[in-house]
Amino acid sequence: MSTDSRIITASVLPPPRSVTGIGGWIRVNLVNTWFNIGLTTVFGFILVVALWYGLKWVFFDADWRVIGTLGGRIIIGQYNVEAACPGRDCFWRPQAGLLLVMVLLGMAWSVSGGGLTKRIAVLFAGALVACAFLPYGLDKMGLDVRLLFAANVPALALGWAIARHTRLGTVSWIAVLAFCTFILILVLLRGIPGVPYLKPVSVLYWGGLMLNLLLAVVGIGLSLPIGITLALGRSSRLKVVNLLCVTFIETFRGVPLITLLFMSQVLVPLAFPENFPQNSLVRAAIIITLFSSAYMAENIRGGLQSLHPGQGEAARALGLPVWQTTLFISLPQAIRNVIPAIVGQFISLFKDTSLVYIIGMLDVVEMSRAFIQGNPEYLASAKEVFVFLAAVFWVFTFTMSHVSRRVEQHLGVGKR
Amino acid sequence: MTVYEETVGVEDIIVYKDVHKWFGNFHVLRGITTTIKRGEVVVVFGPSGSGKSTFIRTINRLEEHQRGDITVDGIAMTNDTRNIDTIRRDVGMVFQSFNLFPHLNVMSNITLAPTKVRKIPAKQAEMLAMELLERVGIPEQADKFPAELSGGQQQRVAIARALAMQPKIMLFDEPTSALDPEMIKEVLDVMHELASSGMTMIVITHEMGFAREVADRMMMFDEGIIVEDGPPAQIFDAPQEERTKLFLSQIL
Ligand SMILES: Nc1ncnc2c1ncn2[C@@H]1O[C@H](COP(=O)(O)OP(=O)(O)OP(=O)(O)O)[C@@H](O)[C@H]1O
Ligand SMILES: [Mg+2]
Repeated sequence: MSTDSRIITASVLPPPRSVTGIGGWIRVNLVNTWFNIGLTTVFGFILVVALWYGLKWVFFDADWRVIGTLGGRIIIGQYNVEAACPGRDCFWRPQAGLLLVMVLLGMAWSVSGGGLTKRIAVLFAGALVACAFLPYGLDKMGLDVRLLFAANVPALALGWAIARHTRLGTVSWIAVLAFCTFILILVLLRGIPGVPYLKPVSVLYWGGLMLNLLLAVVGIGLSLPIGITLALGRSSRLKVVNLLCVTFIETFRGVPLITLLFMSQVLVPLAFPENFPQNSLVRAAIIITLFSSAYMAENIRGGLQSLHPGQGEAARALGLPVWQTTLFISLPQAIRNVIPAIVGQFISLFKDTSLVYIIGMLDVVEMSRAFIQGNPEYLASAKEVFVFLAAVFWVFTFTMSHVSRRVEQHLGVGKR
Repeated sequence: MTVYEETVGVEDIIVYKDVHKWFGNFHVLRGITTTIKRGEVVVVFGPSGSGKSTFIRTINRLEEHQRGDITVDGIAMTNDTRNIDTIRRDVGMVFQSFNLFPHLNVMSNITLAPTKVRKIPAKQAEMLAMELLERVGIPEQADKFPAELSGGQQQRVAIARALAMQPKIMLFDEPTSALDPEMIKEVLDVMHELASSGMTMIVITHEMGFAREVADRMMMFDEGIIVEDGPPAQIFDAPQEERTKLFLSQIL
């Protein structure tokens, strides 16, 4: 009887105050032992000093005018210079491409129902619209350029509405449209001979952030499927397939990317028929994709090895053929297990796109470096330029890892 | 009557003739000869490492045998993958560690094979799955993921998953030995119900209460051979072999 009454009187209590709130968090995590008090003091000091000098430089000492002078070249490189586009009226093509991307982003926002996609869409659209109001003179940045920047918000809304009110608002449709959009953007940028307003622009002049992003999208889009194929090939019992995959993977992992890019200038022309549209952009895209695929293959293989053998047995016992077991059971689990490694590879691929300077392409970093070198009056501003570039890269890679964490959480449902 | 019908009657669903298997140099199955009839419930027991699991895994070719003949529902177990596929479709299996697919929810775990292998339309497969979930007593868990279920619930989903292929034979490899005591009964109850519905079942288990109540036959395995084979009454009350007596005395 006495035990019963004790159970009945036990009530739900809030946790003790000492472990809740900011004060509680600080007490539990930062100053709970003398050792931690020491660490907190030392690192707190370092943090304050770094912040003080860092912010002081950013807001008072740095001269950011150089970024303004670089201007649109940061985004499109030499795409719109006189040599690339006589008349200098090609700027609208990359901008139109951007609008198409915004439409897709709007659709993704609608389908995902807000959250992270919404925040990314709003932030990027906001940043682009802000570009429409940059304090240049109208002679440097015309109304047309500004309007096209401002159109990013309507584009986003259009995408959102399309997904909401038509049958295109599904993940598979967005994937299909994303692929079509990418091809369309390439055509738009490259141009079609003989068509007014679409005169061809040699890829030699494609540059800036646009070049980094194009290479990264190709690399990311292709290295995952190629990597999966290689990983499956490497786990294959067919000796020839196995040997081919191992050779490929070890070759591309064993040589630095910069060396591969350099060699591509010599080797890739030999590997394709003469009339194949060869140019440094295609070469760079191929090399970056293959290089990344080799790493991707090893990531996926790690994921495949982490699977419990019982999974394959259960699938076989149910009568699933090997290819269905791979497609529906092994790969989804393997990929989910190695998402951090895969996204790490994507991020490193994105940063590595800068290495195309070695084959003479003006990506955003090389573009800026060449500018400083060619304009000695800006030599003193090199610091500002590179800090700015670091921030630009960081924004993109941070977005990627943020998305990856969200995807992980999403797929983590039911993780053992 | 032809010779074939004399040796393999239509009511014989599994026929083993002098089946041998080696793992490397290790002789695991040393000549298994037995016939299991349609609707029979066979409990397989015996010491650890005696080849029980290997035996039932040769029935659906999770393990390959190297000598002798295996016939399942009239189909010879050869290297012909079409035969193997047909046999696997008709033989369901339940594992000690459940082996549910952790990335799929309960409903998809059950409907995957029927829709992909038997090509049943999704709607129909889902209806069948709901029926099976009701049969194993957890219709309310259809949208959960395996990790959100208790061991007993997971094993019942695994049974429903195997039944969704509408198999003719069900194999159970120690289905309750990974479960906490209070969950063993819920799984055994499902198996009991399945047995009374007329399913042919081969069950490796040391739940001797279940065996006595449900089994038509019991097989004692030791060192890769069937030491003794008989109805539960014989095995429990009048075992013919010393090894059976010794083993039962150790576990009962
Ligand atoms: N894949 C394998 N490779 C090598 N040896 C194996 C393999 N699988 C099983 N064996 C060995 O074969 C023997 C029989 O194994 P099996 O799993 O059939 O035994 P069991 O009767 O089911 O035992 P338990 O009650 O422990 O499950 C054991 O000695 C085991 O170590
Ligand atoms: Mg076993």
